[in-house]
Amino acid sequence: MASITMRNLVKKYGGVTVIPDLNLRIEDEEFIVLVGPSGCGKSTLLRVLAGLEAIDGGELLIGDTRVNDVPAARRDIAMVFQDYALYPHMTVRQNMSFALEMRGMTPAETAPRVEDAARLLDIHPYLDRRPKALSGGQRQRVAMGRAIVRDPKVFLFDEPLSNLDAKLRGQVRAEIKTLSRKLKTTMVFVTHDQVEAMTMADRIVVMKSGQIQQVGTPEEVYDNPVNVFVASFIGAPSMNFLPARIEGDRLALADGGETLPLALMAEAAPAAGEVLLGIRPEHFQIVPEGQGLSAVIDLVEPLGSDTLIHCALAGQRVIARVSPDIRPVAGQRISLTSIAGKAHLFDPDSQTRIGQTEGQAT
Amino acid sequence: MTTRPSDSRWLDGLNLVLLVLAGVIVMTPTAWMVLSSFKPSYEVTAYPPTLVFQPTLENYATLNSQTPFLRYTMNSLIVTVGSTLFGLLLGAPAAFVASWTRITWPAVVTLMARMAPGTLFLLPWYVMFRQVDMIGSYTALILTHAVITLPVVIWVLLPYFDNIPRSIYEAAQVDGCSPFRIFRRIALPLVSSGLAVSAILAFVFSWNFFLFALVLSNSQTKTLIAASFNFIGEGSTNWGGLMAAATIIALPPLILAAVVQRWLISGLTLGAVKG
Repeated sequence: MASITMRNLVKKYGGVTVIPDLNLRIEDEEFIVLVGPSGCGKSTLLRVLAGLEAIDGGELLIGDTRVNDVPAARRDIAMVFQDYALYPHMTVRQNMSFALEMRGMTPAETAPRVEDAARLLDIHPYLDRRPKALSGGQRQRVAMGRAIVRDPKVFLFDEPLSNLDAKLRGQVRAEIKTLSRKLKTTMVFVTHDQVEAMTMADRIVVMKSGQIQQVGTPEEVYDNPVNVFVASFIGAPSMNFLPARIEGDRLALADGGETLPLALMAEAAPAAGEVLLGIRPEHFQIVPEGQGLSAVIDLVEPLGSDTLIHCALAGQRVIARVSPDIRPVAGQRISLTSIAGKAHLFDPDSQTRIGQTEGQAT
Repeated sequence: MTTRPSDSRWLDGLNLVLLVLAGVIVMTPTAWMVLSSFKPSYEVTAYPPTLVFQPTLENYATLNSQTPFLRYTMNSLIVTVGSTLFGLLLGAPAAFVASWTRITWPAVVTLMARMAPGTLFLLPWYVMFRQVDMIGSYTALILTHAVITLPVVIWVLLPYFDNIPRSIYEAAQVDGCSPFRIFRRIALPLVSSGLAVSAILAFVFSWNFFLFALVLSNSQTKTLIAASFNFIGEGSTNWGGLMAAATIIALPPLILAAVVQRWLISGLTLGAVKG
């Protein structure tokens, strides 16, 4: 169990700088999720933490120890790989005890730890099978078991759920979260799936182009995104953006001239100027005609728990999430507004959220 | 019931004809050799050749009585097994490192050495071994044959190592393995079928290697294939004895070739990763 500190961390591949200058502290026993689109550097960062990639600048500490030049074998971290990376020629038992054996433990010492981890993960019946005789979910558990038996300082997960089907993914997601509470070990989890990030993390680190965009609890990142990128990446369907300008105490949409009261905004708006209005789909509400923004429904997607309405609004495509009791039809004209205090304003040039308090951005 | 298009059946038929034709072309010299070894000496060179004859073991008896055949066989085994083991001992780690580091030029160099005509090395090789007084020694023969076995082992094993998912190596690193332990505990067991194939191919190539064995051996260390040359005399050639010797020399490679087929089916890495 240990904290992780990254100071001015730099990672390059040849002439390409993948991580230009990264600062982050992960607290002891914290469950951190690194999230971002493909190529944002999250997996590279995880591999740097694991010691599988060399650091080109800055400092990396696990606990109080500087590990820049410490090889993976001596970092006392465990990693669950995207493709599980089980040793195919070994049984589940051998897979799980291998790391302990490498640390000089005898079979008598490894056996009870393997048994305990196997029971915890419900893979006890498969201990003498080889990986190829297991299903995807079972292999995934063995990969976790292999990490657990070592009782490492840090667990690293590199998109471990991406090869599972949707149902199993949800199940294993919950299991990992439960496990993190039981084990009380620092965990770093990489995913491109914002649902995984939201549901599992103590804190989310949103990354783009090797740079941290925002660090915060799932609620903070969702409710108070620091910029357009975070706002659009976190949340599914993503936040709707509409170009607008401030006119007095109202917000006029750039195309169509329709207005909304500024009182609906989450933060204090500037006195004047161009802005980007951001409203999450679930923060739209349908109001009587004339009291909101006029929109024409293009497509209706009933999801059971709620309904997604795709509309054309002021020349933009927007998605609103409404109650399943509302049964709109394509072609219908509706009037939409934002729930008070839920709409955000972004600076169209810097793309940052207007009026955010200090410390929200990294 | 499904019916196959006539085009497909026509192609199947053509394939069969071509396969039979290729088989006949490949097997005719071997069949000729084996049949001749069982013919009386006057029938071996008869023209037109006879296909129906009274088989005899006369050539094999001559072979056994007139030449130290057993010693030649032992010599061949010592040199072939020695050079195969030498090739495996150096070639397997070399292939692993080439795959791990993705630096393959040293492997290309060994291949070039293999591809170059043997006579190119013959003279310097002979002079070198004569200077250290090793002509006729098993060591000289084993080292020379390693020129054949080493590239075979490296180039057969390289794709096997390349096929091991990188993440398995990385998992072993995280689990606390040094590179040597990764090689010994993870990589080698996963390429066991490749090891078998490369060992068998190296054995066959070394067994059949004629030129260096002829020049670098002496009467005590002569290998089977070099010794078979003795049957070709200046005035007359004992074709029957030569065919019997050739048949016996060809047996181990033929048997091993049959064994290789079992090992070529490699399914060991199944289940290692997703899927």
